Amino acid sequence: MSNQRQASSASQTPHLSPAELSYLYTSLSLPKSPIRPDGRSPTQFRPLTAESNILPGTNGSARIGFADGTQAIVGVKAEVEKTVLSTDTLASSEGGEGEDSTSTSNSAAASGHGSWVQMSIEIPGFRDDDALPVFLSEMMRESLVGSVADGGSDGGGDGGGDGDVTMAGGLKGRLVINKRWHWRLYIDVLLLSQPLSYPLPLLSLTTHLALLSTKLPKLKSQGEEDPFFDDDWEVAEYLYPRSSNLKAAGNASQYVRPPVTLLVVSVGENIIFDPSREEIAVADAVLAISVTRDTEAGNLKLLSIRTVDPPSRLTQPAVPNSENVNMLGATAPTEDIAVLNPATGEEEVPGVWRPRRGGVKRSVIANMVKTVLKKGGVGEEVLEGLEGVEVE
Amino acid sequence: MPLDTSTTYPLTRLRLDGRRWNELRLLQAQISTNPASSGSSYLSMGNTAIMCSVHGPAEGRRGEASGAAGSAGAIVEVDVNVAGFASVDRRRKAGGSDKQSSRIATTLRAAFQSHLHTYLYPHSTISIHVSVLSADGSLLAAAINACTLALVDAGIPMPGLLTGCTSGMSGSASTPRDPRNDELDPLLDLSLPEEQELPFLTVGTTTCVPVGENHMEDEEEETKVAVLNMDSKLHCTYIETMLAVGMDGCNQIRELLEGVIKGSNRG
Amino acid sequence: MNDRRRVNGPPGGTRPPVYASLLQSGTGADTRAQRQRQPTDLRKIFLKTGLIPSASGSSYLEFEPSASLAAARSNPKSLIPPSSALKLACTVHGPKPLPRSAPFSPNLVLTTHVKYAPFAARKRKGHVRDSSERDLGVHLETALRGAIIAERWPKSGLDITVTILEAEDDRWWGDVPDSHDASWGMMNVLAGCISAASAAIADAHIDCLDLVSGGVAALVSDDSTDSPSALPKLMLDTDPAEHRSIVSACVVAYMPARDEITELWLKGDSSKVSTADGDQRSGHEALIDGAVDAARGAHTVLAEAVRESLQKTLGQS
Repeated sequence: MSNQRQASSASQTPHLSPAELSYLYTSLSLPKSPIRPDGRSPTQFRPLTAESNILPGTNGSARIGFADGTQAIVGVKAEVEKTVLSTDTLASSEGGEGEDSTSTSNSAAASGHGSWVQMSIEIPGFRDDDALPVFLSEMMRESLVGSVADGGSDGGGDGGGDGDVTMAGGLKGRLVINKRWHWRLYIDVLLLSQPLSYPLPLLSLTTHLALLSTKLPKLKSQGEEDPFFDDDWEVAEYLYPRSSNLKAAGNASQYVRPPVTLLVVSVGENIIFDPSREEIAVADAVLAISVTRDTEAGNLKLLSIRTVDPPSRLTQPAVPNSENVNMLGATAPTEDIAVLNPATGEEEVPGVWRPRRGGVKRSVIANMVKTVLKKGGVGEEVLEGLEGVEVE
Repeated sequence: MPLDTSTTYPLTRLRLDGRRWNELRLLQAQISTNPASSGSSYLSMGNTAIMCSVHGPAEGRRGEASGAAGSAGAIVEVDVNVAGFASVDRRRKAGGSDKQSSRIATTLRAAFQSHLHTYLYPHSTISIHVSVLSADGSLLAAAINACTLALVDAGIPMPGLLTGCTSGMSGSASTPRDPRNDELDPLLDLSLPEEQELPFLTVGTTTCVPVGENHMEDEEEETKVAVLNMDSKLHCTYIETMLAVGMDGCNQIRELLEGVIKGSNRG
Repeated sequence: MNDRRRVNGPPGGTRPPVYASLLQSGTGADTRAQRQRQPTDLRKIFLKTGLIPSASGSSYLEFEPSASLAAARSNPKSLIPPSSALKLACTVHGPKPLPRSAPFSPNLVLTTHVKYAPFAARKRKGHVRDSSERDLGVHLETALRGAIIAERWPKSGLDITVTILEAEDDRWWGDVPDSHDASWGMMNVLAGCISAASAAIADAHIDCLDLVSGGVAALVSDDSTDSPSALPKLMLDTDPAEHRSIVSACVVAYMPARDEITELWLKGDSSKVSTADGDQRSGHEALIDGAVDAARGAHTVLAEAVRESLQKTLGQS
């Protein structure tokens, strides 16, 4: 347990022998066509079951179960809160009558604040303030509040929204009710069992679904009044607006969507998506890439990249026969010739596992991002898959 | 007029949610919901929804189960987590667990430690993880039922199903009971608003599986109370009624749970 | 989490007094710090190792205050300094044996703590590490673990503690706190932490693949008032107090000898960028390359500081 906590971001240190690790690495790093333990293609995801709107007591909720049995439940709750104008804002709007100060205070009230979205992640076996839950929640919150739909908040801040399909100012702007009131969004993520692999994809997809199903009650008050809402839950509006009349599928893809965070690993020259626990254990580099749909261009937009500490750095090294005292004299000397591994730039004996060292080349990172973002790439595939869930 | 059970019940003989005094809420349950655990269950009683997963019996962590305590039998660990979105207003957490969930965890641990045949698994740990997805009263009772189902799913031997239920009185019941003018009724399976205004207790009972011929006839006698928990103030003359109603509720729930277990055929 | 062990200050924190006369002259752009450096110029870094004798390795890092700060000091218009500069101290304890209760580890077990001093930022920080500090700790751990040759110390632990004495601002203090609330200053802090920790590890004589150094680059759209359609520009080593709007930023931990990145943290919208003609890179690639350039700059300082520390130890023996 203490080891788990120390190995914060790397989730769990895998319990694989050096020989197994070496075998996995060799088969996954085969040039052009990696062989994955479960026979998937590099960009193929594992099957999952998903349902949304499962908890009537929340504004939005979703459950996703991965094929390996791990499940996550996300509940979203929204509360109305008074916008606290800081002393700075008051001072500047009172003191300075210049255009500059008034325009900044206006934009502040219209654009919302990132701290209005609160996220907490519960993982069995971890405390709230352990490194893994904190890192995961910061990672997901960062891309959520950062996903401003279009450049600049000049689109006008009628965030109350009468079914408008675009979302000015992104999620933050949507939470603004008027200058004095706003919604506060609590996203509680519950992992139902100890994570078997790095739980980020599971949590991110579940959060995405929950946010898609989140509804806020319809606002009945207008302008700067104290807000009051329609009691009828039937007329409540989606947090991420969508038009009721279903248009062509090509058009539907242009709506604002919550971001998704994908876990991408590189093994040798290969780039592998949705890694299983064994695959992540031998990865050279692990990247969490958050993307969302760009409403203007209709393609995908990068929101954030974070490296995740690859667990392969913590693995046990193997001993080549030439250094093994038990094998002294038993092997032919030609067997152990160290060769230069092109991926790591180090001398290695083939088939003898070394924990990974060093980082990742820039070209590899660029390649990983490209695979996610490109037209018809993995990112679009995932978003389309998730859009299919809420139709049912 | 405030809308609560203590005022509406004497007038209509119906509770806030339209139930009569002896009616349970809709109980739905499922087992084997989570393939990643040894046993798991989902149980909802009205708007209270609980997921429970059991891991083990497995080798305990170093230093815990290997001591003198572990040699006698398995150690039951219970971890209760009330989700932030479970109640009407989001619970603001002050870090880690709160009082309510740790109390439930302690009660569950004590109940199942003595209930299960732990002597079959020395030096091992049975860990139970309870997630409350939606809280609307009778949390402890629902948690007991969910744990029982998950433990059955995990195949851990126990003498009988341990089921829990709450019962309360339809008024404050602070004066001695008057047998001639008895206007207070006992209530079964309280919801959260009722729990907040009325005195109530949680009772958990178990039966031994009848073994042999002489156990067959008096099944009534074989019901044992395993959990009894009351936090509210009440005149002692009412206890017996409440206990009887609660135990009757437990028996009803036991039949429902048996149906769930028998109905689910795991391949 | 509440800190119950100490007598804490008021929850909202305290602020220096703001006088109306100062505000009137100070709301405009004249007291807002302006970037004086070229887009590719870095701030000077002061880095010295071995200042804490009780630790096995230590370093102290300081960024040169922006030119605007010096100007504001010489000709004060406001009592509040326009920007702050990073100052941090890093200590390394170990390698030392793991406690008996810890499970076996074939590698050096790295633990990183990043803590802001309560007075480090304009808003007071508590004594208990908050989520942003824990987050920084994880980033730092990832950055360093790639550089340290961990299998040379089985069953050992290494504690790295960074105390931030003065943190970078997230925005200009006069801006409304909501105007852009992303914590851009944290990225500069992380870059400083990486460089300082790297120097301290070298000072503790722990084998590394290379000196890993941190660098920050950002896409900045400053003159949005003139032409709203202007694309954001790439700047290295940005001081968030000097810019009106940072669109996206990136911090890397970089090992020049191997041309490898051990830690990458990029956030914000990097889809639009004004690049030179013929530059085919997309926004995020330009950003990463910029951050790597900044890290290369920091590496020269780092190498010099480590050489100095080595000469000192050689002179002692």
